[in-house]
Amino acid sequence: MRGPTTVEPVPGRTDELIINMGPQHPATHGVLKVVIGVEGERITRAVPHIGFLHRNHEKIEEARTYPQIITYTDRMDYVSGLQNELPFILAVEDLLGVEVPQRAKLIRTIFFELFRIASHLVWLGTGMLDLGAITPFLYTFRDREMILEITEKTAGARMLPNYFTFGGVRRDVHPDFFKDVAHFLDFFETRLPDYYALVLDSPVFQARAVGVGVLSRERAIARGASGPVLRASGVAYDVRKAEPYDAYPDLEFQVPTRTEGDVFARFWVRFKEMEESVKIIRQALEKVPKTGPYKGKVPPRVKPKPGARYRAVEISRGHLGTYVVSDGSERPLRVKHRSPSFANLQLIPDLFVGARFADAIAILSSLDPVFGEVDR
Amino acid sequence: MSLFAEVWEAVKAVGAGLGAVNKRISEPAVTEFYPYKKPEIPPVSVQFLALIQNEDGTDRCVACLQCERVCPSQVITIERKRNPEGKGFVLERFDLDFANCMHCANCVEACPVSAIVTVGAFEHAVYDINLLKADKAMLDHIGHEARVWYSPKFGVELRTPEGKIQKAPPEMQPGGLAELLKAEGGEAS
Repeated sequence: MRGPTTVEPVPGRTDELIINMGPQHPATHGVLKVVIGVEGERITRAVPHIGFLHRNHEKIEEARTYPQIITYTDRMDYVSGLQNELPFILAVEDLLGVEVPQRAKLIRTIFFELFRIASHLVWLGTGMLDLGAITPFLYTFRDREMILEITEKTAGARMLPNYFTFGGVRRDVHPDFFKDVAHFLDFFETRLPDYYALVLDSPVFQARAVGVGVLSRERAIARGASGPVLRASGVAYDVRKAEPYDAYPDLEFQVPTRTEGDVFARFWVRFKEMEESVKIIRQALEKVPKTGPYKGKVPPRVKPKPGARYRAVEISRGHLGTYVVSDGSERPLRVKHRSPSFANLQLIPDLFVGARFADAIAILSSLDPVFGEVDR
Repeated sequence: MSLFAEVWEAVKAVGAGLGAVNKRISEPAVTEFYPYKKPEIPPVSVQFLALIQNEDGTDRCVACLQCERVCPSQVITIERKRNPEGKGFVLERFDLDFANCMHCANCVEACPVSAIVTVGAFEHAVYDINLLKADKAMLDHIGHEARVWYSPKFGVELRTPEGKIQKAPPEMQPGGLAELLKAEGGEAS
């Protein structure tokens, strides 16, 4: 079914008001425009307009060599920057036939999960800001700052580090790295109860979130939703379990799932994911050798065999996949990214129509889109 | 639920939130007083790039064009000429446009002689975008000012107050853990 692309006033109908929400609306976390028709307090129509941040990633990447492309993949979902590098790297590693040392895999996994916590903290802070609570924002950004400092010490940048590379990671970790991560986890575990008290357990928040924006299991699957949005609707799909990559086969963790599919369930799933991430990092810290190789043997000129490969990872927002077609030269023939926020954003008409106008903000923040990745 | 019970629930919720905040209110502030107290940036952090010269003032750079080749945004421009005395090339021009630089440090990774490095200097905000177009003199200057820098080949290096260049202790090196653990083990045994 093709939906309407614009919302036109219906002739003769005066009770419907058409509102442009965005593209500079602070609650859209970037540049999203939603044209909304409201009848009183209820939303009758909603059409999202995207593309304000389009940077032509996929075409640029055709003109770059493989090591150069890693830099660009960072810039898709800039909130969880490091995670975006992995699907492209995994795909090229498969084409190259590179062996990755176990230590490099574990270091990658530690960073991957640290960025999941960092991303969920940004979501929690800004999401609660949309709902009118300022305190969680100040707390979450302080905690995230610790992750960013750990990342900067080892990876060389705070948000877009360009740290993973074919065959492992770019450089060995800083001597303080394992100590810092363990310290952060201890610190973060004392902070989580605060977030529960401020957000999830608060009846004020529950009154705002329970039963709002209900997404049924069938609708979520039909629209191609992924990540916490899908898991909050009762589908226990997680790429880390479905097609394990890196060190995930060796690590034990749960996939938090809830069946309600409302805003509260999506918040709950992300909270539990942060807890699971802490457990995963603890296990990885136990397993990772303190010293050893951090990069496998990679030819100096990266020229994969002709062929195509699709690899997916579970980033903070869901299923991020990268399809790489190689013709045997230094540059890929085609790179295609399947991004989770873009698919999740299709749910806007489904979830908005029938909801109250004020709840639209709550629904949008529970979807957690990042527009660098929606528009690419 | 009656209205009174609902109001009471809300009051309790606000109280619980205030309790959680109150628990943390006496913790030390994490705010950085930036212009007055400058943060220490780790040398691996990609902020400014710099060209490092040897202790005797000659260029480390051998004009091999590797950095120009790997740069994704093509901001490095190098012109070179044959070395009149001896073999190899010498630099005639080395321009780096920081305005378009993506700070990916691919050039630093590619450099075979550790000439282009990342330094901890980070205050490069200017009012005129043309001032971000660095030439060789500016990059050399940043390199001279730098006390500590990083390149994958030599690791973290220090410039002593006397102007000597030496390798930094393993506590600052990426992968310095191996050396530290060995030293610990050596003392223990």
